[in-house]
This record gives sequence, C-alpha cells and structure tokens, in this order.
Amino acid sequence: MTNFPGSLFASLDHVPAGVTILFGCLLVGLVLCLALEEKLHAKKSLIVGMFAIVCLLLATGFGILPYQPVIVGSHSLVEHSSVDGEYHDDEHAVNFHADATVGDEAGRHDSSVHVEGHEISMPVYIPAIDWGVIAIILGSSLFVDVTSKSGLFTWIAIKVTKRSGGDPLVLLWFYGAMTVIFSAVLNNVTAMIIVGSLTAVSLERLNRKQLLLGFLLIEGLLTNIGGLLTLISSVPNIIVGTAAGISFMTFFVKAAPYVVVSTIVTLWMGAKIFRIQRLSTDEQKQEAAQLVAGFDEKDGIESWSFFWFGAIMLCLFIITIATTSVLPIVSDLQIGFVALAFGCIMLLRFKSEVDNFYKAIDWDLLGFFMALFIVIYVMEHAGVLNVIGSGIESVLTDLKATPAHATDSSILLVGAALFSSVTDNIPLAAMLANILSSLGTPTDSGLWWSIIFGANLGGNITPIGSASTLVAVTIIHKHKLHLTFGTFVKMAAPYAAVQILMATIYVLLFLR
Amino acid sequence: MTEIDQFESVFKSAGKTLFQHEEVSIEKVLVVCDGDQAATENFAASCQTFLAVLGKQVQWLVVAGSQFNGIDQLLQLVEQHSPDLVCTHRYLHMKAREYPFSLGSYLDVLTQVSTNPVLVMPHPERISEGSSHQNTNRVMAITSHFTGDYHLASCAAHLTQSGGELWLTHVEDQATLDQYLTIISKIPEIDTDTARKALPEQLLKEPHDYIESCREGLREAGVEVEVINVVVLGHHLRDYKTLIVDHEIDLLVLNTKDEGQLAMHGVAYSLTVELRDIPMFLL
Repeated sequence: MTNFPGSLFASLDHVPAGVTILFGCLLVGLVLCLALEEKLHAKKSLIVGMFAIVCLLLATGFGILPYQPVIVGSHSLVEHSSVDGEYHDDEHAVNFHADATVGDEAGRHDSSVHVEGHEISMPVYIPAIDWGVIAIILGSSLFVDVTSKSGLFTWIAIKVTKRSGGDPLVLLWFYGAMTVIFSAVLNNVTAMIIVGSLTAVSLERLNRKQLLLGFLLIEGLLTNIGGLLTLISSVPNIIVGTAAGISFMTFFVKAAPYVVVSTIVTLWMGAKIFRIQRLSTDEQKQEAAQLVAGFDEKDGIESWSFFWFGAIMLCLFIITIATTSVLPIVSDLQIGFVALAFGCIMLLRFKSEVDNFYKAIDWDLLGFFMALFIVIYVMEHAGVLNVIGSGIESVLTDLKATPAHATDSSILLVGAALFSSVTDNIPLAAMLANILSSLGTPTDSGLWWSIIFGANLGGNITPIGSASTLVAVTIIHKHKLHLTFGTFVKMAAPYAAVQILMATIYVLLFLR
Repeated sequence: MTEIDQFESVFKSAGKTLFQHEEVSIEKVLVVCDGDQAATENFAASCQTFLAVLGKQVQWLVVAGSQFNGIDQLLQLVEQHSPDLVCTHRYLHMKAREYPFSLGSYLDVLTQVSTNPVLVMPHPERISEGSSHQNTNRVMAITSHFTGDYHLASCAAHLTQSGGELWLTHVEDQATLDQYLTIISKIPEIDTDTARKALPEQLLKEPHDYIESCREGLREAGVEVEVINVVVLGHHLRDYKTLIVDHEIDLLVLNTKDEGQLAMHGVAYSLTVELRDIPMFLL
C-alpha cells in the first residue's frame, strides 16, 4: 500500500477542537465553491489555490504544520537492527540506539526507520503534493496532445464514422464504443472533445441535428463508464488506485466486465429513450452512405511517418503502462515516469516548437491538483480528515474487514456517487483515499472499489459531476441546444440510477 | 474549451464535398443571329462545327435577325422552341462593337431570364475573319465557388471532346484575402501569423479537393477527358486571361446566375465583357 503524500500519523492531540472546526468550515466552503464554479466564473485552480493560501497561512499561524527539515538520500532499515546514530522518519529526526521494526500488524503504516541522508530546505507545501499523480497527468496529457497532432485519433474516428454508413443507430453504437475506448486509453475529457466534436460535425452533415442532444448526452455519460476501465483513465482511479496499490492489469481485469455490460445497457437505453433508429429505406441508406463517404480520414495527416510513429508509440505506451509494475527498473520509476518519458519522446517530432505544446498543457487542471493536495494536507494536520474518518467509521460497520461488509460497500459507493455529483469527484477521491489509508483499510478490500465506482459514476448524475460531462454540456450549448442543469439531471437520472445499481451489485458480487 | 473548436475544425475540414456526375442532355439547339437568313445559316454552320462534340442527333433550329425585333419577341421564340441550348452572339441588333462594355441588351436579359444555357460565340464578323476556335478540345470551367457545383463540372465535361482537356479552375481573389488579413492583423485575439498561413491554404484546399473529386467522379462515370486542376491565388480577370491565352482554351463554361440579384454574377459579368474572342457557355 502506498501512503498518501504527507500522510499524518503523528498525534493530533495538540490540535484544538476550534481549529479543527475552522478548517472543517473551510473545507465545506471549498466544496461549495467547486460546486458553484460555473456561477463564480472562476477556474478550479484559482478557487482551490485561494483556499490553499488561506489554509497554509492559518495552519502556520496555529502552528499545526510540521516545519521540520526534509531528509533526502537516506535508506531504510528493513529488518530488526541495532544501529547507533541518528535516524529520520517522515516527520522527525532524532538520535537513536534501538531495534527498529518496519510496519505494524495491520500493515497500514510504513514506519520504516531511515538512516544517513542529508537535510535539504523545502517549503512545507512541496511534500504535500503527490508528485506521482501530477507526473501521470502531465505526462499523459502531453503524450496525448502530441500524438493527436499525428492525426491518429481523427483517423480512427473518421474510419469508424464511414464504417457506420451514416446509419444513426449504428453511429450511436460505434461512437459509444469509441467514447469508452478513448476514455480508457486517453482520458475522459479528451475522449469527449474528440467524439463530441465529430458527432456534431457528422450529424450536421447527415442532416440529423435533432439527434445531437441525445448523442452528446449519452457520450457524456459513457465517458465516465470508460473512465472506469483502466488505472489511468480518470484521476479518481489514479488517486485511489495508487493509494490502494492496485496495479494497472488488476484494475483492468476487475473493472472491464462492468464497463462492457454498463456500456451496452447505456447505449440500449439511449437508443430507446431518444428514439434513435436505423434507416428504413434503401434510398435513405444510400444517401447517408454517400454523405459520410465524403469524410476523408487522411485529411488531418500531415506526415505518414509521424502517423505510424504515433500509432506505434501509443501501443507501446499502453503496453508499458500496463506492465510498469513488473518491468525491471521502470517499476521503481513508476507510471508517472513512463507517462513523462513517452510525452518527451513524442516531442522529438516537434523539437524546435515544443513550447507550443507546453503552452497547451492544462495548467488549470495541474494547478487545481497541486492546490488540492495542499488543502488536504492541511486538513489532515488540522484533524479534519480524522473527524470525517471517525464519522465514516461510525456509519460503516468495519473498514478493516475482508471481504468488506455489504452494507459498507453499498453505502460508500452510493455516498461517493451522490457526493461527487454535486462537487468535483477528485477532492472526494483524494480525501476518501487518504481516510481509508489512514484507517487501515486492507488493499484487497472492496471499499476501494466502492470509492472508484462511486466517484466515477457520480459524475453522471449532474452536469458538474465530472469534467467530461461538463465538456458534453459545453458542446451542447455551443450548438445552441437548450439544456439546463435541471433538464440534464432529469434526462440523466435513469441512466445514472441503473449504472449505480449495477455497480453496487457488481462490487458486492465480485469485488468485495 | 478551445480544443472542442480545434477538433470540430479538423473534422469539418475532413468532411469533403464529393462530386456527383450529372447526365447532361443537349438534343435541341436554337441558333439565334441578327443577320439575314444566309448569314444566320453560316453562323449556325460554324456553331455546329464547333459543337461537334454534341453528336449528329442534335436538332438544330435557326432564328434569323428578321424574325425578332425586341427582347420580348426573342424570349417568346425561345419559350416556343424550348431548346436545351441557345446558341448566339453578343450585340444582337446593336452596333456597339466599338463600345464593348456589355453583352448587349438582348443577351443581358436572355442569360438571366432563360432557364436554358446560352452559348455566346464570337461575333459572326470575327468568325468570318478566321476564328481559331474550331472545336472543344480544351474546355475551361470557371467559378468563384467551385466546391459542390456538380452541374458546372458535368456540363463542362459533356462539352469537352473525348480525349480533350477539361480545365477545372478556381482563382481566389488575392486582393480580398489581403483585405481580410489586414483586418485580422488588427484583432489581438486572432494570431496573425497563423491566419496568414492557414487562411490561404484552406481557401485553396477546398476547391482543390473538390476538383480532385471531379476527376475521380468523371473517371468512374466513364467520361474520357483529362482533368487539369488549377487552383491559385491571384487576380480573377488577369489570371484567367493568362490561363486562356497560354493554354489556347477553346471554350469557357461559367455560372452567370446569382440568386441574390437580377444582374449577372459578379465574376461572370466581368469575364463575359472582357473576354470577347472566346466562346462562352453560360449557365
């Protein structure tokens, strides 16, 4: 199990209750501001950044942050040993002469004893950030951005469109499957942008713009299903999966059956509810086929050598990510390194203009994560997460049980879904991962999966529940289609209810 | 959310208009001339020679100058015969050759009112002086908006002799583009360098792709002509004149009607007035 960065296991007895309440209020304020992001007309990074500044100032003022020196270059003692000298753990540096033991019985706390090393000066908020997660997001987005310039993704998307023959129902199934696969391989926001844009263009070409709302809504919902397929498909997966030590392949094998079934059910429901049907006459079929035949999949490809390079690199990227945990050397460097390395290699094609890609990086997203990790770090030291953890413990039967209790799994999944539907699912995932980790939930517990499924599927309840549904709504509004917050909830409710019910049954039957 | 727009642009660019070959049928031709019967017969004969590509099954009707006096009468005759093509010359019943600033009032009206295409031959006097246009071996189709125009390309192909050259051309007006780029350079939100590079590329790409689609469509339809793709930035009149002279074009095919106005289509008007020595097939 990987400890959450900056995880606080030191005693919180010295934190006064009033301070904890104050920071608890700040956390509620943050959640509310994120929920009202659209109304505030402020980007996530700025909202969370402001809260991070306030939290750091207050926490320093109250003296609850550990301003000890950071030790690097040390190595841990892995067996009982008797060493004279000075040792360091994450928080403290003290002289010792004692037997040291790694880990406790629950295996929840890596209390390894470190020896040697040297002190470096590092601001307190730097170790608060999970740089592994940041590396994955930065590397993956860079890799996907550069690879998309090869025309590979648009080539695939147009090939799929042409293969459908322009038949609306076939198009829905093809686009649905493509959304799920792109969400899994790339990320759900990029998938929604690619498939959503193509949907708007192709339905306009086919003179079927009246189906656009249904298509985009279904695709938006499917991004969150596809986001469940792999460890790197969505940020909650990365955060929770990393915290629980779930490997890429384990994640894929356990999540794939649900993703397949849920995709089929969602598409079937979508076709029925939005009355998306097959073309009936030969004349209609011929006309539609002629219209989609006008799409030229080669149009966006500037260089075939770069196209094939992109295709090969994408395959290698997926294979390397999938096998990172078993690859020698690479396993030590972890997935973040793999993502960054592949991103850098792709940039070789644009070596004189890489700055353009740096400008295109989603700094809002990265800033949001970094600020969020800092806020959670402060909340942890202020005892807020302890209070929430105690609350969760009081509601749930036993967080350490394996298999997890059915009621615990169900409550956590549905609760996570409801919570992530009204605010961003990333802080929820980060908080719950930290709390479960701190409370000693075993790595093979189904509760981790409850959070993963709940945090992802909660995005399908409201348009603000996930970034990809927000992208879907943006495309809908771009094409002057009327869709309010309430209408979205009303339209998405049947899908979300079925998906969450299916997820609960799946977790109880197979993942508990 | 600029990425949404970027991907939409990529997909819109990839969505191309494919040429669909239209069958063109010209079985009845009405030859109108302002000369006497003999002169009209001569003119009709030269028209028949020039349009040998139409075959021998075509019914040729002749209207001499004495048969109409006024635009109404000419329109009535055209309506009465309902030909597939009206074959005539400019300055009907006018002595305006010294002041060649129009096609003449008859043709100005006829091209806009009649639903039939009109072939404007050089004046009979020019033909008798020895016109170099004896056949339709090199036909050039001209339009300011080629993409999606099935009819123009199909007609031009129909009028090109088997084995001949079909020039499908598009000249994008450089002056208009420069004007837009100057405006763009004053808008901070639009990257001027990108616009300067991408705008002309995209403007030329669409007609170029469409003409390639015409080549493919005509080949599939079994039309045996050599399609020559010319898409350039330049000056409409100057560049077309150069192309026509340099490549010894025999026939121009143009769209003249504009749904938004009674007058002849802008580019077509200037070309028909300025290029007086070459036959023009006006749609």
